[in-house]
This record gives sequence, C-alpha cells and structure tokens, in this order.
Amino acid sequence: MTGKRNLTTYGIAFLIILGLNFFLPRMMPGNPLMAIYGDEALVAMTPALKAHLVARFALDQPLWQQFAAYIAALFQGDMGWSYFYNAGVLKVVLGSLPWTLLVVGTSLVLSTLLGIVLGIESGWRRGSRTDRTLLTGLMSLNGFPDFFLGLVLLIVFGVLLGVAPLSGALTPYSGLSGLALVLDVLKHMALPVAALTAAYLAGGYLLTRNTMITVLKSPFMTTARAKGLSQKALKYRHAGRNSMLPVLTMTGIWLGRVVTGALFVELVFTYPGVGQLTYQALLARDYPVIQGVFLMVAISVLVVNFAVDLLYPKLDPRVSYAR
Amino acid sequence: MHVSLKKEIKQSHVGQVGLIILVLVIALAVLAPFLSRYDPIQQSAASLLSPSLSHWLGTNQVGQDIWSQLLYGARTSLLVGFGAGILGLILSTIFGVSAALIGGLYDKIVMRIVDAFIVIPMIVVVILVAAYVRPDLAVLILLLALLSWQGAARVIRAQALSLKEMGHISASRTFGASRFYLAWRHIVPDLGPILLVEFIYGVRRAVFIEAGLAFLGIGDPMLVSWGTMMHDAMKFSYLNVWQWWLIPAGVALSLTIIGLTFVSHAAESVLDPRLRGGVVA
Amino acid sequence: MLEIRDLRVSYGSDVVLNGLDLELADGETLAVIGESGTGKTTLGMSIMRLAEAKVQGSIRFKGEELLSLAERDMQAIRWNQISMVFQNVNNVLNPVHTILDQVAEPMIEHKLRNRDGARARARELLARFGLPQERFSAYPHQLSGGEQQRVLLAMALANDPELLILDEPLSSLDVTTREELCALLEKIGGHRAKLVITHDLDTASRLSRKLAVLYGGKIVEIGPTREVLRQPRHPYTRALVRAYPNMTTVKDLQGIKGRMSRLVSGCPFHPRCTQAVEICSREIPPLTQSRGHWVACHRGGIVTLLSVANLSKSFDSLKAVDSVSLHIEAGETLALVGQSGSGKTTMAKIIIGLHPPSGGAVYLESKRVARRGKDFYKRVQMIFQNPGESLSHRLSVLELVMEPMEVQGIGTKEQRRQKATQTIEEVELPQTEAFLNTYPHHLSGGELQRVAIARALVLDPDLLIADEPTAFLDASVAAKVLKLLLNLQERHGLSLLYITHDIAAARKVSDRIAVMLEGRIIEEGPSNEIVTAPRQAYTRRLLSSASALHDFDNTSISR
Repeated sequence: MTGKRNLTTYGIAFLIILGLNFFLPRMMPGNPLMAIYGDEALVAMTPALKAHLVARFALDQPLWQQFAAYIAALFQGDMGWSYFYNAGVLKVVLGSLPWTLLVVGTSLVLSTLLGIVLGIESGWRRGSRTDRTLLTGLMSLNGFPDFFLGLVLLIVFGVLLGVAPLSGALTPYSGLSGLALVLDVLKHMALPVAALTAAYLAGGYLLTRNTMITVLKSPFMTTARAKGLSQKALKYRHAGRNSMLPVLTMTGIWLGRVVTGALFVELVFTYPGVGQLTYQALLARDYPVIQGVFLMVAISVLVVNFAVDLLYPKLDPRVSYAR
Repeated sequence: MHVSLKKEIKQSHVGQVGLIILVLVIALAVLAPFLSRYDPIQQSAASLLSPSLSHWLGTNQVGQDIWSQLLYGARTSLLVGFGAGILGLILSTIFGVSAALIGGLYDKIVMRIVDAFIVIPMIVVVILVAAYVRPDLAVLILLLALLSWQGAARVIRAQALSLKEMGHISASRTFGASRFYLAWRHIVPDLGPILLVEFIYGVRRAVFIEAGLAFLGIGDPMLVSWGTMMHDAMKFSYLNVWQWWLIPAGVALSLTIIGLTFVSHAAESVLDPRLRGGVVA
Repeated sequence: MLEIRDLRVSYGSDVVLNGLDLELADGETLAVIGESGTGKTTLGMSIMRLAEAKVQGSIRFKGEELLSLAERDMQAIRWNQISMVFQNVNNVLNPVHTILDQVAEPMIEHKLRNRDGARARARELLARFGLPQERFSAYPHQLSGGEQQRVLLAMALANDPELLILDEPLSSLDVTTREELCALLEKIGGHRAKLVITHDLDTASRLSRKLAVLYGGKIVEIGPTREVLRQPRHPYTRALVRAYPNMTTVKDLQGIKGRMSRLVSGCPFHPRCTQAVEICSREIPPLTQSRGHWVACHRGGIVTLLSVANLSKSFDSLKAVDSVSLHIEAGETLALVGQSGSGKTTMAKIIIGLHPPSGGAVYLESKRVARRGKDFYKRVQMIFQNPGESLSHRLSVLELVMEPMEVQGIGTKEQRRQKATQTIEEVELPQTEAFLNTYPHHLSGGELQRVAIARALVLDPDLLIADEPTAFLDASVAAKVLKLLLNLQERHGLSLLYITHDIAAARKVSDRIAVMLEGRIIEEGPSNEIVTAPRQAYTRRLLSSASALHDFDNTSISR
C-alpha cells in the first residue's frame, strides 16, 4: 500500500508545512510582530530593532506580500531571526543538528536492524516460548514512552550505578581528542540511543514478524526447503529477504517518530541537540526557533520518505516505479 | 468471516491482560474522588514530603498530594485518549467511506490530502501548534483528532472499496439504495473490526501525545497530567524523590499504553486470520 | 530405487494416503494419475519429507529408509539425489531473487560448485531448456508461465539428482510449449528415474512408460501406460479414461456416479463401483496381478460378464454363425457391427436363448450356461428392433413394464407397481395415470422403444442386448435413446451388447467394436482403434461408406 506517493503528494505536504508555519503566528490576536516573537521578547526589544524586523519580514504589508517575502527569504536560507540567540535561526538550528543526527541516525539504524532480526527469528519460531516471550516483552516495552524509558535508564545507570554520564554530549572542558574523544562521545550517547532504540524497536519487530508469518506460508518456501537449504539460508535469504520489505517502506514515516522521540530524550539527558534547543525555545517562547526547527524536521522527514519511495523498487523487484 | 471480535479478544491471553489493565485504569479514574482524600490541585501539605500514611505517595514541589494527582491524571489521559480517539474515528470513517463510495475526483483529492498528512510527522506539528495556542482539554482533543484521522482513513477506504464490490452491497444498489444508506446500513457495520482496531490505535496515540506535551511543559497547566508529574519530578531527581513521584506516574502511563497495545494486538489477529492460531499471545 | 510400502499420510484427522504401495526402478518413469484431492501432491511431498502431516509406513530410497532419517541427512539428500519440480503456481519461485540465482543456489549451498561454477552451470541449464540469455537476470514475476516452468525444470536438474519428482509439469502450458518441454525432459532428464504426478492423462501418456492410478489414498491399478489406458482393468481407471476428453477416444463422455468421499471403509471406490459385492465394503483389496496389470479389486479387476466360445449356428446348409468367440465385460459396451445377413441378430438370439447353438458354448461370469432359467433372464435382457412388434398390444404401459416382475415372481403387487413407475421415470417417460394406462398403439416410436427398455430394465439386469434399437426411430429420438443407454451404464454399470449396421453410431456408444462378416468376426478391438486404424479391407469399406456429412464432390465436410 505504499510507494504510490508521487511528487504531488509531497508538494501538498510541503505546502501544508509552509502554510502552518506562515499562518499560525499571523492568526493569533495582536500585532504580527508580537505573535512572531511573543510579548516578552517584544518588551525587551528596542524600537529600532522592531522596525528593522518589521521591514525584514514585511510585516506591515498585505498578507500575500508577506507570504512572498517569506518564501523569498526561505530560498535564501533565511529562516527568521532569533531574538534570544541574536542570530539567524538557520545558524542556530544547524549548530545543534549534528548531535541530533548522530543520536537519531544511530537509533533508527539500530532499532530497524534489531527489529528486523528479532522479527525474523520470532516469526520463524512462531508459537514457541521464545516467540511468545519476545512478543509480549517487546509489546510491553513499546508501551513505555521514550521519555520515561530515558528517565529510568538515567536513574538506573546514571544515578544509581554511576556508570553513565548524567548529561551532555561531551565531558565539558576536557579537551579530549582522537580515540579518547570518540569514546567520550560514545559514552554520552549510549543511554539516549538505548532509550530511543528500545522505544522504537517494537514497530519494526511486529511488522517483520507478521510479514514473516505470512511469507513462511508461501509456495516458494516449500521450494526452498525442497532444495535442502540450511535453516539459516531459509530464514534469511528466503523468508527474511521478503519479510523486511514492509519495514523498509515505513522507514521514512518512522524517522518522524524517532525524531520526535529524540526531542524528549534530549530533554531527559540534557543532550545538546535540536530537541534540547526546541525545549529551550518553548520555555523562552522563541517562536522563530520553534518554527525553524519545525520546518527543518518536517522537511527532512519528507525528503527521507521521498528517498525511500525512490529506493524501494530497487529492493522489491515486483514494484515498477512508473505507476 | 463471521469471527466474533469480542470472543477473539477474550480468548487471547494478551487481550485478556490488556483488558484487565484498562479496566483497572478506568476504575481508578472513575473512583478517584473516593480513593483519594485530597483535591489534587490544592496544596494540602508542605512540599516534597516523603510517603506517609496521610499522603501515600508524598507531596510534590508545591505540596500537592501525589497519590491524588496520580488518580486524577488517569482521568485526563483517558478523557483525551478516548475523546481524540472517537473524534478521529468519526472523521476517518466519514472521509474513508465517502471517498470509497463517491470515487472520482473527490476520492483523488481526499487521498492526496490524506497522503500528504501521513508523511508529515504529527507530533512535531502538535508541538508547534501547542506552542502558539496553549490548548485546553477540548482544543487538545480537537487538535489531536484533526491531525491523526488520516492514517485510519486510508485503511478504512481500502476496506470499504473491497466491501463495495461484495454481493450484498451490489444487491442493495439494485433496490435503488442511496449511497448514504449503503454506508450506514451495510458498510460501516461490516467495517466493525477495523474501526475498533483503528480506534484503539487512536486512543493510544492520543494518550501518548498528551503526556508528551505535558512533559514538555506545553500542556494545559490547569490539567492534572501524568506528563506534568514526570516533568516536575524530573527537575528534582537529584533529591531522591523519584521513587514515589516519577516512577508511579511513568508506570501508570506505560501500563495504560501497554494495556491498549495488548488489546489492539488481540483485535488485529481478528482482522488478519493468517495471524490467528499458533501463538495464543 | 524407490520403494514405498504402506504409506499412510494424514493431516490431523484427514487421512489422505491410506496404505500406498509403489515401486520405481532405476531410470524408470512412472506416472501417478489421480483427480484432485486424491493425495497425489502429498505423495510427492512425503517422499521429500516436506509434508507437514503425520507420515507412517516406509519409503526406501536406494535401500535407505527415508522416514527415519535425521533431518540433516535428509537435507543432504534433498536436491542432490531427489529433486522436485513443483506445480507452477504463483510465487513458487522467490520473487526477490533472480532466476539465475535461484537455479545456482542449490549447487552452491550443497557445495557442489563454487559461485562462479554454479552460475555458469545454471546458465547452461537455463539455455538448454530454451530460455534466452537476456532473461537470466530476470525476476520470476517478469516471466511467462511457460518460461517459469522451464526455470523450474532447469533448477530441479541443477544438482544432477537420480530421482526427479514432477508435479503437474505441463499443466499451465500451451500446446507447443508442452511438446517442446516433453522432448527436452526426455533428452536432458532421460536416464533419471522420474515420478510424474498429474491428473492429466495426456501428460501421463506423453511422459511415462508405467502408470499407476491413485484413488482414495491407494493405488488401484499399475501397469504399462499404453496397456492401462487402452484396456484398463480397474473400474475406476476405465471410468477415468471414459471421462477424459481427448482426441483418441471416440466414445461419448461419461462420468462416474457419486462423489469421492474420504471416509470409506473397505475398498475406497466401492460406493461408486458398479460391480461391487459385499466384501468390497468390508475389506481393503490388495494389489494382485491380473492379465499383466496389478489391480486392487476383490473381483480381480473388471469382471468378464459374458463370453461365448466357438459359437456356431447353422440353418440347414447356411452357416449363420461360424465359430465366434467374444466376451463382454461388466459395465462396458461391445458393438457388434455388420450388414444384414452377417449373423449378428442370430448371435443375439443364441445368447438370449431363442435359438440353440449348433456348436460352442455361452458362459455367464465364467459359468457355462446350459439351461436358461429365471436367474439367467434376471441378468440378461434383450430389446428388439421393432418395439411395436415386441410389445403386446393388449397390455397398458404399466402392465407391460410390470410383466417381467410378475413372471419372475418378484415382490408384492404394490412393490412391482412402484418399481415399474420408477423405471418408467428412469427412461424419461411420464408417470401420469393417463400415460400409464395408455396402450402401445397410441404411442410414438420413441416412446415405444423406451417402454421396451423399461421392461428390460425393470429386473435390474447386468447385460442388455440391444438389436438395432434405434432402427425405427427418428434421429433426434434415437439420439436420446442412445444417451439414455449411456446414462444407465454410468449409473448402474449396465453392460451393453449393441448390435447394429451403423458403425458411426456404434463408435459413439461402445468401448469395443467387433466386426462381423458372413458369420465370422473378422476384426475386434477398442473402438477408437477400429475406427482410426482398421486392419481389414471390409472394415475400411464399412467406415468409408458410413454416414458422414459430405461435400458435393464426395469428400467429408470436415476434411
């Protein structure tokens, strides 16, 4: 049921995102500048700054001109100005992006791979104790929200056992380099990645397991068994290769979930990524930054989805892309 | 294909456990006033007290009774969950069935919009809107429903399409039945199991997001929520109060979600007979 | 090489194979024929130990008992020594791997060749089975049905097995592909032992020299393919051949009464068998030798109902019947074809007892018939050319049909009436009071002949001698009468001695034809052989002068 999205769909999605970003502040009561920056910031701004901002974002012009200005600015890489950081939003967001990418990327890959493998093994042994345990276990694990998991991990490993750092991506002021630096980074990202992976493992697992159950009944599995192939070959080369396809198509959508999960997890671990940035922005009502994060996250998810849609036919030869 | 949904769920062990959990949570929510002594919003004692006989889980940083908060938090979660779930389901059904029955340009447009929304990560949008609007209970339910009906609509439309081709539907059409009649009398009832499953998914999503928003501090400050409890508790984790503050709230939230997951898993196997049999999980 | 003894396979409480015995020698090709639900695919799967069912009994391959082998050892045997060409359904090949990979895979897995060697050999095999090179890296769903079948064949031969099991290998193919693949299979797979499993007699006869017939989970007949199809010895085999539309048989299609049921005690075919006796419902018959075939039948296969040996009859100096030997089996139609004066009617009258023979003897179920009493007439009945003459004009229809029972003293008056009415219904005549009380001179030719048939049938005879039964009837009526006779044969296992001059009609209703000329049988054999490959000049003349739809210039329209 996937793979039928074409450019129009993504186009509409993009427009919706832009639209939300643009119209939300302008629909709030009060003057647009206040809506965009919030009353607290406004109070602290000098009139000169206010005038500058109004001009920059065409806030005194009719709505459609504002929209045009907005789009034009976007294409130039100008996503707004953060009062609190006193810098362009794009620059601010890009500063935090790498850490989030690191954590999210690792978690996504780990949870997908592990989910697939566990799903294959579980589906293969359907009904056995291993399968039942995995199924109940992972469904339960899935019920724990990622932030709660993160907190529990933090408490257990950070506070109680003291083996993991309590915050940050790096040990501050340590001046490490080379291998030591890498180890330090790994140590700091271990728990956040663990939390995210655990929280999103079940999705891939369940989907793979269900597909596996169906695939195992296919005629080609009987053919494969007749060929006298080893269990491993049957499980992975034949059944597994077919079972992992649905998971891969969901990767794009799951990316969205993992990214939002990162938001919470970064908060819990005080990890300096985009999530932490968003939280601070929420606290401070730094709307430009919130909007900027929203735009970036939403667009990257769209892009990844699109990429997966393009790549999928390479993995499943039954799908021809021109549909 | 006449599998009794209730029977299937009741027979599955996992489904049973899930139902028990849900019933427990609902009971706690409903009976909250009788099971707790204090008003969760009122300051009833000094701050950050440890558990005692008068305050079973101690008090939080403004002196509110944690046990009461736990119980009333259940109300919030369940209200938002079921509210958004039902509203979302109604929207999904309306759009899904109408797209299937009317077809043509209407169908194409609706599906494009649905697909566009599916691709957008929902939680991010909710956070954005919540940042501006600061939703109260009703607005939150509305917001969640508006942003989550799309997924179910797709599934419902697919099912409605295949039902449309079935014999008894065609037969009704030869009686001159209107599309609305068909939808109401025939298609929607046959969609039963799918509607139930999608409903449970919706509830689960809503519970999760409500807690998440509260955790981020952008929920309704008037509402007692498990998310808020965890948010506040987190700030004081160095004080070793997490055992009776953070953990119960988190466990309560997790259990609720797990209960919903289990029930939906049992319901899913009704839908897909290929998954039935074998594991009685 | 393959020896199966008492194989029992059941899925839960569903017993699919119930004591199956089979043997396959080195290099031999055996076809197992069965209709759907008879367990033929299960047979193939059980040999490979792929059936997810309870399997009991013994399957010995090259002396080794397969059923007690450890899974790992069985894995080594699979594909290397025994391989299978599966039924070509959707998804029988893995959709996400190329066909080249799938053909090469078993060679690599069983360590027969390294990767490059395996792929080279795979290419070779695919090419030999007629796949063009550009298809080698295609995926299964991109191939046509015929191409997929070629892949399955090539793949099965990859590891050079000694035994090849083929499940419906030609079923989804068009005619030219079918012929081509048959030839290829013979050429490439020739020296191997092959077990062909199919429901299709055409496939079985193309591919095999030996044929086994599967019914109700057991083998009911085994023999050389040609012989089994030409002259089947088991009632089921015969019925199967009769039901199968093909270019060889000329007789009209007939079905098998009843439906297949799994829960049958004793011989699995007995509820549908027209020659079943008491023991058939109690005990399962073992396979015994009978005239070159092995048959599982308590009665030794199809029973010979009537036979005459060296029968002669002279009227003064005229030898009407000159040393004729014939036999009629239970449930079959023998047509006695000849022109007037050939002696055929005399033959009939001798058999029925209206003329005593001058020499030779008549045997009913191997027992010599000396005096013909009521017992004889209960089993052998005759209908004559002119029904108007053979029916008394004094009796009403009902009385006419009840008469034989009165003579034989069977039943009460009420029972006789009921049986008569039933039989009248069977010959498709009305059972209204008005009709039952009609007298013959008010009836049409067709109705009269039906009454005559009803009279003959009312005693439930085993053999009906019909002397030119449609001579006085219009063509459309005659057709219905002939169809009726065929239906009765299908339903009751009635044997028919059909006497006629019209070979065109004879071939539509008869299993065998005997050509009579001047008192002698000059040629006899299965009807399709007599009609398509006659040996005697007289027969050829009969055929060429038989009714046909001619073009003006005297060639038959169809040619």
